[in-house]
Formats: sequence, structure tokens, C-alpha cells
Amino acid sequence: MDQTFEIGDEEVDGIPVVSPAGEIDVATAPPLRDRLAALGASGKPSVVVNLLGVTFLDSTALGVLVGALKRCREAGGDLPLVIDEPRILRVFEITGLTGVFSIFGSVGAALESVRHP
Amino acid sequence: MSERKAGTISVELSIPVQADLVVLARLAAATLAGRAGFGIEDIEDLRLAVEELCLSLVTGREDGRLHLSYECEGDAIEVACWYEDDHMAASARRAAADDLSLKILDALVDEHGRRLRDGRAGAWLRKRRSDRAV
Repeated sequence: MDQTFEIGDEEVDGIPVVSPAGEIDVATAPPLRDRLAALGASGKPSVVVNLLGVTFLDSTALGVLVGALKRCREAGGDLPLVIDEPRILRVFEITGLTGVFSIFGSVGAALESVRHP
Repeated sequence: MSERKAGTISVELSIPVQADLVVLARLAAATLAGRAGFGIEDIEDLRLAVEELCLSLVTGREDGRLHLSYECEGDAIEVACWYEDDHMAASARRAAADDLSLKILDALVDEHGRRLRDGRAGAWLRKRRSDRAV
């Protein structure tokens, strides 16, 4: 089954910004997990995950993000999320994860939180 | 396969347990919900709930088949799924959904639960159409 999913990558002032786009589910979460793990292994303590292009997200995706957040915090960093779609934000709310992640409405605000924690 | 009788639509689906095919389960749910007049928000809730229902049975598995039945009657849709497995105990153990899945199901559907059918682990959910905007 061809699902449109891609992961954009950039770095702003040395801070990685990972931008998955499409549906993150049991089929597409593994490449995101691998990408975030690779950034952690390369010594980047903080990563901004831009979810503005995400249209669907399940518990597998949440598990990937929670795992990456744990690695970042253990390294002294953070994994701020960028969300502006109410439907996506709702998944974090109903699972109680809005109290766990730092969530911002723009990439700029998320980057700022990393620069000035 | 589907049949229609007196306002009821029944659909059955059987898919191999492959990560990239679980999308078919939620696609069928969304299509039926749309036909039943569910609004966009309800359809999105149902898509995610059906995904979680499937994951609760097949996470960690890459073999066998997942069987789903969709029953659309009046203002409600009931979705049931069973994992094809000969070993009841193993299936029942796998049917223990993780915490995130349970929270999602609790929030998005009216009722959900677990059941065994012919020794196979199963799970079901029921969602009624709400008055939220289409």
C-alpha cells in the first residue's frame, strides 16, 4: 500500500529540525524512530519535531516520540513539538502527553525554547 | 464482502498482518462512517480508534491474518476484529492493549472491549454519530 509519507530534515543554528509529513502509523513510524535515534547517536541533545505536515498519528507514533524525548532529556536536551492542527493536538491531550512534551505553534517558537531553555 | 438489509450495512474484511496494510482497516471504517452520515470529526475519531483496535491485537506480529467486521446500523457503527491464531493463551496475552491505546479508545468511542471467539483473541468498539459539525 503506497502511503504518502516523508521526513524533511534541516538544521537551524545547529539545532536539528525533523519534519515528518503525512500519516504516522505502525507502517511509517519506524523510519521516524530511526531518524531520531540517529540524531541522538550523533550527539545532538535537542531535536525539534515539526508535526505541521502530519495528518494522522497513532499510538505507535506517540511511542516513538516518547522514546526520543527520553533520550533527549537524558542527554540534557529536549524534544519540542510543533503542532497547530487541533486533531493532532487532541491525540496528545487524550493520552495526557501535553503535560510531558513542550508543544509550540511554530518552528520558531520551538527553536527559541531550545536556545533559551 | 458486504450486504445490505433494512438499513444495516455489514462488511467483512480479512487482511494479512503487515504494517502497511493496517491502513485498510481504518479506510473501510472511514468509508462506512461517511456513508452513514458521520461528520468529519467523528470519522477521524473512528479511523484512529480502529487503528488502535487493530494494533492492540497485532503489535509485534508479522504473520497470520486479521479479520474485521463492520456493522453499521442507525446512528452507530460497531467494529470487531479477531486475530487468527491457534493458541488461545498466546492470543489473549497479546490482546492486552497498551496504556496509550486504551486511553485513545476510551476517549474516542462510546464502548469498547475484548472478547474471544472460537479461541481467537478479539476486540470490538462501538461509536455513535454525534451532533458535532460535519
